[in-house]
Amino acid sequence: MATAAHAESPRETVAHAVVLTDNADEQRRLVSGLAGNSDPDIPRLLNLWKESGFFIATAPAGGWQGLAEGAKVAVTLGDDKDADDKQAASVLATGAPLRDPAGQPVRLVATDLDNADTDFDLRLAMKTVLDLAAVTAADPVQRRQVVEQIGLAQDPAKLPVLRERVKVETDAHVQQALRVAIALLELRSEDAATQIAATNTLGAVRALSARDALTTLARETETTRPQVARAAQAAGKAIETHLQVVNFFGTLFRGLSLASVLLVVAIGLAITFGLMGIINMAHGELIAIGAYTTYLVQNLFGNGMALSPFGWSFRLPGLNAGGWFYESYFLFALPLSFLSAALAGVLLERCVIRFLYRRPLESLLATWGVSLVLQQLLRSVFGANNVQVYSPSWLSGHWTVFDVLLGWNRVFVIAFAVAIIAGTWALLTKTPFGLLIRAVTQNRAMAACMGVRTERVNVLTFAFGSGLAGLAGAFLAQIGNVGPSLGQNYIVDSFMTVVVGGVGNLFGTVISALGIGVTDQGLQQILGNPVLGKILVLCAIILFLQWKPAGLFVTRSRNLEG
Amino acid sequence: MKLHRYLSSLLLGGALALCQGSVARAQAPTPAAKTTDTVKVGVLHSLSGTMAISETSLRDILLFAFDEINAKGGVLGKQIEPVVVDGASNWPLFAEKAKQLLDQDKVAVTFGCWTSVSRKSVLPVFEEKKGLLFYPVQYEGEEMSPNIFYTAEAVNQQATPAVDYMLSKGYKKFYLLGSDYVYPQTTNLILLEYLRSKGVPLENIGGGLRKDEAGNIISAGKYTPFGHTDYQQIVAEIKQFTSGGKACVINTLNGDTNVPFFKEYAAAGLTAETCPVVSFSIAEDEFRGLPAKQLVGQLGCWTYFQSIKSPENKKFIEDFQKWLKATNTQGIVKQGRVVDSPMVLSYDGVYLWKKAVEQAKSFDVDKVVAELEKGISFTGPGGVVTTQKNHHLTKSVYIGETKADGQFKILQEFKNVVGEPFLKGKFKAAVTTPVTNAANALAVAHP
Amino acid sequence: MRRNFSRSELIAVGVIALLGLIVLPALNSAGLISNFAINLWGKYLCYAVLAISVDLLWGYTGLLSLGQALFFSLGGYMLGMHLMLMIGKLGQYKSDLPDFMVFLGYTSLPTFWQPFRSFLFAALMILAVPGLLSGVFGYLAFRSRIKGVYFSILTQALTYAGSLMFFRNDLLMGGNNGFTDFKLLLGLDLRTPGVQRGLFIATVALLLLVYLGCRWLTMTKFGLVQRAVRDSETRVLFSGYAAANYKLFIFVLAAIIASLGGALYVPQVGIINPSEMTPDKSLEAVVWCAVGGRGTLFGPVLGAISVNALKSWATRAYPDSWLIILGGLFILVVLFLPGGIASVPGLLARTMRRRKKSDEPIAAVPATAVSAATEA
Repeated sequence: MATAAHAESPRETVAHAVVLTDNADEQRRLVSGLAGNSDPDIPRLLNLWKESGFFIATAPAGGWQGLAEGAKVAVTLGDDKDADDKQAASVLATGAPLRDPAGQPVRLVATDLDNADTDFDLRLAMKTVLDLAAVTAADPVQRRQVVEQIGLAQDPAKLPVLRERVKVETDAHVQQALRVAIALLELRSEDAATQIAATNTLGAVRALSARDALTTLARETETTRPQVARAAQAAGKAIETHLQVVNFFGTLFRGLSLASVLLVVAIGLAITFGLMGIINMAHGELIAIGAYTTYLVQNLFGNGMALSPFGWSFRLPGLNAGGWFYESYFLFALPLSFLSAALAGVLLERCVIRFLYRRPLESLLATWGVSLVLQQLLRSVFGANNVQVYSPSWLSGHWTVFDVLLGWNRVFVIAFAVAIIAGTWALLTKTPFGLLIRAVTQNRAMAACMGVRTERVNVLTFAFGSGLAGLAGAFLAQIGNVGPSLGQNYIVDSFMTVVVGGVGNLFGTVISALGIGVTDQGLQQILGNPVLGKILVLCAIILFLQWKPAGLFVTRSRNLEG
Repeated sequence: MKLHRYLSSLLLGGALALCQGSVARAQAPTPAAKTTDTVKVGVLHSLSGTMAISETSLRDILLFAFDEINAKGGVLGKQIEPVVVDGASNWPLFAEKAKQLLDQDKVAVTFGCWTSVSRKSVLPVFEEKKGLLFYPVQYEGEEMSPNIFYTAEAVNQQATPAVDYMLSKGYKKFYLLGSDYVYPQTTNLILLEYLRSKGVPLENIGGGLRKDEAGNIISAGKYTPFGHTDYQQIVAEIKQFTSGGKACVINTLNGDTNVPFFKEYAAAGLTAETCPVVSFSIAEDEFRGLPAKQLVGQLGCWTYFQSIKSPENKKFIEDFQKWLKATNTQGIVKQGRVVDSPMVLSYDGVYLWKKAVEQAKSFDVDKVVAELEKGISFTGPGGVVTTQKNHHLTKSVYIGETKADGQFKILQEFKNVVGEPFLKGKFKAAVTTPVTNAANALAVAHP
Repeated sequence: MRRNFSRSELIAVGVIALLGLIVLPALNSAGLISNFAINLWGKYLCYAVLAISVDLLWGYTGLLSLGQALFFSLGGYMLGMHLMLMIGKLGQYKSDLPDFMVFLGYTSLPTFWQPFRSFLFAALMILAVPGLLSGVFGYLAFRSRIKGVYFSILTQALTYAGSLMFFRNDLLMGGNNGFTDFKLLLGLDLRTPGVQRGLFIATVALLLLVYLGCRWLTMTKFGLVQRAVRDSETRVLFSGYAAANYKLFIFVLAAIIASLGGALYVPQVGIINPSEMTPDKSLEAVVWCAVGGRGTLFGPVLGAISVNALKSWATRAYPDSWLIILGGLFILVVLFLPGGIASVPGLLARTMRRRKKSDEPIAAVPATAVSAATEA
C-alpha cells in the first residue's frame, strides 16, 4: 500500500489512511506525506476526518463491488436519512456510491459503522499539513493564524517557507505576522548578530507571543552571550509595557461586556421591580425559561428531541435542518424565548402577583415559592443535568484588535444590550402603551379614574418585563450553562443593578450596570482574583447606597413615605 | 367567606392528596416485600439544588444495580430495599439524613455523597453510629475513615497519571485552574510538588501562587467560586500564558462552571491543538451539558470510560439502557443517557459490598468491613477493581480525549494503580513515581 | 392589645418549658425518645430562635432583613473556631492545628485564631462579632434612612458578600468545607447522647429566654415606638423620636439573638460552612416567619418547626417533588393566609361566629389582612 501511495491522489491517500485504524504510525506517515501538496481538497478532507465525518464500513457476506467479504472501506454518508435511519454511502477514495455486487447503491446506518477516529498525534500531523497549506490559503485571517503558530513552534526548518512567503505577501497584517514568525525562528540562530537583530524586531513590533521565547533566550545566553541577553531583556521590557496597555483596554472591553450581561438580565427586573414594584424572585427562573426555549428551538431545528416529564414520554419531531439554516435557529429562538417567558409572566401575574400589588415585601415570598416550584418543574421536564446549547458559528469566533481579544459573542451581547435598551426606551416613551404603563405605575388610582384599564396594563407590563427576562435567557444560553438553577446565579446581581441605578429609572440601570461591570473586571485584573473583586464590588455598593440611599437617579415624589 | 371555604377545602384537599399519596406508596410494595425478607440500603444524594446536576445519575445507577441484584435473588437471600433520601445540596441536611438513615431506617450500608463537604459532614455521623458509606467520586484524599469505603479515584489515580501523560507529550507549561474548594486546592498543591519534582520550573506553572508569612506555598492556581459565570479575564490570561506555546491547562473546575469556561475558551480561539485542557471533573455525564463539538481533543482522566471495549462493559451498558426503558421510578430521565466513572464506581461499590456481605455471611458492618479490608475483587465495567486495606481501590486508570459525540477515545491505560490517599509531601524528593504498579505503566510512558 | 402576659400564654409557656427542659430529656435518657429525634428537635429549635430574630425586625419594626442567616452563621463560626481548636490531636493529622490548615500546608496557627482556645473568648465573640457588624451596618443604613425594599436588598448583598468571603480558602475559615468533625466541648465528648441532650436543654432554655425577653420588650414603651416605626416612621420622627436609634438597637439585638441560635446549632448539627449564609437561607428564615405568622412571637417558632419538619419528611418521602410541595405551600400561605398558622384559630373562631348569625347580612367585613388579599 505504501508503494501505491505515490501515485495516489490526496483523496485516495486519506481514504487509505482512514482504514488503517490498527497502525497509527502508518496513518501519521501517510498524512504527513500530504505536507506541501497544494491540492485544495486536503484541508476539507482532513477537517472532515477530524470532526468524525468519515465512517469505516466492513463488507458483509457476499462483499461489495470491488471489495471482498470482510474488507474495510472508508465511506461518507449522505444527508438523506430515511425511515430506517439509513443513509446513502459513498466510497471516500472515489466519491462514487458504494454498490453491492448487483450494482445497487448501498444504504447504511451510521450507528452500525465505526466512526473514523483521530488521536492527538495524528491531529498534530494533520495540523502541520494544514498549517503549511494555509500559509498560502486565500483567507488572510487564516494565513495569519498559521504563521503565528509556526513562529511559536520555533522550528528553523520552516524558515525557508516563511522567507519565500514574506516576499509575495500583500496583506499588511500577515506581513507583520510573518516578520514576527521569522524573527522568532531566528532567535534559535547560532549567530549573535542575527539573534540581536531578531530580538530588536520583536521588541519594535511589541510581539506578545515572543515574551516566553525572549525570557528563555535571556536566561540561556546570560553567561555565554551577554549582549544578546541584554537585547532580549530590553525587548522583553518593551513588550511588558505594551502588555499593560493591552490589558487596560482588554479590561475595559470585558467590563463593557459584563455590564451588558448585567444589563440584559436586569432590564426585565427594571420593569417589573422598578416600575411595578413587584419583587419578583422568580425572575431568574423566567430567564431559565428563555434559555430552555432556546434549547428546544435548537433541537427542533436539529433532530428533534424526546422528553419524559413525570413518567410520560413523548417525542418532538425535528426539522433536520443543516448548514446555515440550522445555524439561524438562534434568530428564531430570540422571539420565541420572549414569548414563552412573557406567557409564563402572564400566568404568574394572574395567579399570584395580582393579589400582592399592595404588599410588595410579600410578593418577594410568594415569588420565591414560585421560583422553587419552577426550578423543580424544569428539572422534572428536562432532567437535572445541564443541557447542550450550541453557539452558531457566527457567535463563536473572535477578532484581535490591537492585541485585544474581542469575542464575537461578547460584541454581540453589547449590541444586543444596546438594542434592548433602545427598544425598551422607545416603547416606554414613544408609544401609547408606554404612556399607559407610566400612567399606571406613577399613579394607579388617578389612571383608573381617567379610564385606563389598569388590570390589563398590569398584565401587559409584567408580561413585557418577563419577556425581556426570556430574551436574557436566550442570550445567556450562548455564554453560560443551561440548567434548572441557571437563574439563581444572576438573581442577586440583577437586583443589585436595579437598586444601585435607582428604582424606576431605566437610564440609572444602564449607568449602574456599566459601573458595576467595569469595576468588577478592573478589580479582577488588579487583584488577580475573581472573587475578591466581586466582594469589593458588593461592599462598594453597600457604601454607595449610604451616599445615595435611593440609587443613582431618584424618582421624585411628594410622598414622605415613598 | 367564600375565600375561607375555598381555602379550607384546598388545604383539606391537599392534605388528603398527601395522605393518599403516602398510602398508595405504602400499598405498592416492591415485589420483594411480598416474597422474602428485605435488607434496607441507603441512597444519599442531592436530587435538588446545585449538585442535582451530577448526583441524580448516581441515584439512577444505584437503583439499577439493586434491581439487577434483586432479580438474581438478592444478597444473602434478602432483597435490597433502597431508602432514597434527598440531601438537597444542603450539607447540614446531609448530616441529618445520614442520622435518619442510620438511626431510623437502620440501613445496612449507604451509598452516597458527591462533594467533599457532604462527605465531611456525614463522616462524623457514620463514625459515631458505626455505619458504612461507599463514596464514589474522585476526591482529594488526605482522609481514611474506618467507616467509609472510597471507591473514588484518589489523586494518584487521576491527576498524577494525567500530568505524566502531558509531560510525555512534551508540554512544558501548566496553568492550574479550579473551583475554590478542597479538592482542587489539594490536588493542585500535590501537582505543584509533582511537577517540580519532574523539573518543571515555578514560572512555568500558571494561575498564581500564594505563600504564607513563612514563605511556604499554600495555594497554587486560579480559583473561582461555585456558580461563577464570567471567565473572560481568566481566558484572556490563559491566552497570554499560552502565547509562547507548549502550554496546557489543568482544569479542576466543578461541573457547572465548566460550561461558561469552555464557551469562553472556544470563543477566544483556543483549541485542543493550541492549548489542551485536561479536566478532572468532566465525565461523559457532564458532557451532556457541554458544547462537545467545540471540545474535540480535550483530555480527561478517569478509571472508567463508556468507550472501553470489554464484554462486561458492553453488557453493563445494554442492561442499563434496558432498565431505563422499563423503569417507572419518578424523576428518571430516559433519553440520551450515558454512563461515566462516578456511576460505574457506585455500581462497583454495590457489588463489592454484596461480595463482602456474602463472604462475611452477615450484614454486620464490622464483619463486612473486615472482609473488604482483606481484599475483594470484582470485574466491573471498567475492569477489575480490588479493595485495599486502606479503604481505597486498586483499579486501572485511563487517559482519554473527547470526541464530537461526547465520548472519550482512550489514549493510554495505566493498569492496576493502587489507590493512595496520602500524597502530600511525597514528591519532595527528585524523581520518584507514585506507586509500584503505576511505576511500571509510567516507565512505558517515558521510554 | 393587652399589655401584660395573659394567663393562657403563661400556662402555655410553662407547659412548653416543662416539656422541653424536663420531660423530653427524661424520656430520651429512658430510651423512649430516640437520640435522633432529640437532635432533630434541637436543630428545629435553633431555627426557631433565628425565626424570632427575623420577626423582631420584620413583624415588629417593619424591617425585612434578608441577611439574618449571616449573623446566625457568624455565631456558629465563632463557636466553631473554638470547637476546631478543641479537637486537638484527635483529628486526622494528629496535629494541634485544625485539619484544613495542615491540609493547606500551614505550620503555625494564625494570630487571629489564637485567642479562640478560650471558651470564654469564643462566647464573647459570639456576642461581639455579629453585634459589631450589625452595629456598623445598621448605623450606616439607618443614618441615611435606607428602608423598605432597599434595606432588604442591601442586607441580601451583605450576606452574599459574606458567603463569598467565607467560601474563599484564603480566609482561613475552612473555605467551602467549613468546620466539621467536632469532638469536644468544655471537655465533654460531643458525640455522646448525654451531651447532645444537654445541648437540647440549652436550646430550649435559650428559646424560652429569647421568647420571654422579646415578649417583655415588645410590651414596653420601647415596643410601642418600635411598632409605631413599623406603621409610620415619618410620624414617629415628627413626634420627636430618634427612629434611627430605635431601629439600630433592634437590629443589633436581632443579630445577637440569631448569633446565639447559630452557636447552639453548630455543635448539634456538627457542621458549619458558608452555604449557611447564602441569601436563600435568609429567605428561608423569612418564610418560616411568614408561614408561622409574623407580628406574633410564637408564630415564627411554629413556622420554623413546621416548615422544617415538613422538609425533613418530604425529602425522605418525596425526594423528587418536595420542592414543589414546599414552594406551593409558601405561595398558598402568602396568598390566602397572610396571618400565617398563628392566625388560624382566630379565623376559625370568626367563621364559627359568623355561621351562628348567618341570617343577618354582614355589613362590614372585618379589616383583616385576608380582605386585603381580595382587593387589587
